[in-house]
Amino acid sequence: QGDVPVLISEDIVISQPAKILNFLRKQKYNADYELSAKRGADTLAYIALLKEKLLPALLHTFWVEAENYSSVTKPWFASRIAFPLSLYLPGKMSREALNRILLTRGGPPLYSLAEVEAQIYRDAKECLNLLSKRLGTSQFFFGDTPTTLDAFVFGFLAPIYKVCFPRVQLQEHLKQLPNLCRFCDDILACYFRLTVSGHSPAGQDTADANLRKLTQLVNKESNLIEKMDDNLRKSPQHPPRKLTTLKLAAGGEASSPLNRLSP
Amino acid sequence: ATLCLQAFLQMCNLPVRVVCRANAEYMSPSGKLPFIHVGNQVVSELGPIVQFVKAKGHSLSDGLDEVQKAEMKAYMELVNNMLLTAELYLQWCDDVTVEEITHPRYGSPYPWPLNRILSYQKQWEIRRKMKAIGWASKTLDQVLEDVDQCCQALSQRLGTQPYFFNKQPTELDALVFGHLFTILTTQLITDALSEKVKNYSNLTAFCRRIEQQYFEGQDKDSAAAMAARSAKRSLLR
Repeated sequence: QGDVPVLISEDIVISQPAKILNFLRKQKYNADYELSAKRGADTLAYIALLKEKLLPALLHTFWVEAENYSSVTKPWFASRIAFPLSLYLPGKMSREALNRILLTRGGPPLYSLAEVEAQIYRDAKECLNLLSKRLGTSQFFFGDTPTTLDAFVFGFLAPIYKVCFPRVQLQEHLKQLPNLCRFCDDILACYFRLTVSGHSPAGQDTADANLRKLTQLVNKESNLIEKMDDNLRKSPQHPPRKLTTLKLAAGGEASSPLNRLSP
Repeated sequence: ATLCLQAFLQMCNLPVRVVCRANAEYMSPSGKLPFIHVGNQVVSELGPIVQFVKAKGHSLSDGLDEVQKAEMKAYMELVNNMLLTAELYLQWCDDVTVEEITHPRYGSPYPWPLNRILSYQKQWEIRRKMKAIGWASKTLDQVLEDVDQCCQALSQRLGTQPYFFNKQPTELDALVFGHLFTILTTQLITDALSEKVKNYSNLTAFCRRIEQQYFEGQDKDSAAAMAARSAKRSLLR
């Protein structure tokens, strides 16, 4: 149907971020169980910040910046989408991204696309600085265990950090914030089993596949964020299963739906 | 937003005079409200105005450390994202409200057919924006849920403190006050929106406290009139 991300668990196919999160919570996976009310509120606030300040620049880097789009994003997506959708979908996503940027950030006193672009990149860099200050020297945003906020931030940062674009001003800025880079590397190493050194020739395919998944997560981030809020409140609050069981369930075991995220 | 700005300026102890104009949006350099006119300078929108005031040496958030400043900015985005969008949705995308309240008010300074044309134009513009961010497909109930969630987050953050960052008011307090007070005092078709806010007693106490502290210095009458004018103006946004 052209809808990503999609979760396939045994016979069930779920295709919207909101429903995926709901499903996971019902299976007793909830990263925020131990968060206090105040931290839950902070999570919402930071997600709003990411969406407002960082998302436009991210969309721009992937979908609007001509060189990036034509040399990386479009071929990448087209190669994973079935023909003939591959001819149509990337273009549609690109147009939607530009539309969204112009409608939400365009308008006086910014009159040209170049001015809007300059403003959104300024905002994105400021947002990255704010995140870096908030993270400080902790391993995750709320102490030693990862929460939903960490997942969100990672979902935004990892594509910026890892994808090799021709035009990389955001990546260069991110690389000057070592605690955020370390944060991404930690999560990649723990949960995506990617070598921290980046491109290893033998693991190139796995690396590509993982990065594609990350990119797809980002592209539906807007839906994810909007519906996430609903679920943070509505879903039953179950204690989480131990996260270690997920790490140990190496290749093949169907016990965890997370292992079967499909592009 | 106008009320947010008034609250902010009052908190900085800067004297301010509020004037009502039908063509306010056109007077503003960016086309957006609010704007201030200081000497021979005109600055519009809350963000730039706060920067301008800071450059002149007045700031409410100097006492915060970096992490707190980050948190403040995040909460301000939450308010902008959720509350502001919900207010716009209610004014321009809820058909009943649009027909009975928004169109007449927005078009009231102009003769027919200009009033209808301008308000339809504004409505089309707002609906386009809602569609781009994915709010067009939301129902009113979902929007009210979002508002409730935002209020819950604000209520949890405020807790039992007098202001969001304990003893001193900051830009966040001004922003939250402006939005919540507008929601609480504006007459709409249903009271659903203000009921959501009233569910959180610490938020209503917060609004009352700020109103008493910063707006009661003037006449009771003029404060109420100002609030009513501001409410009307924000509805016209």
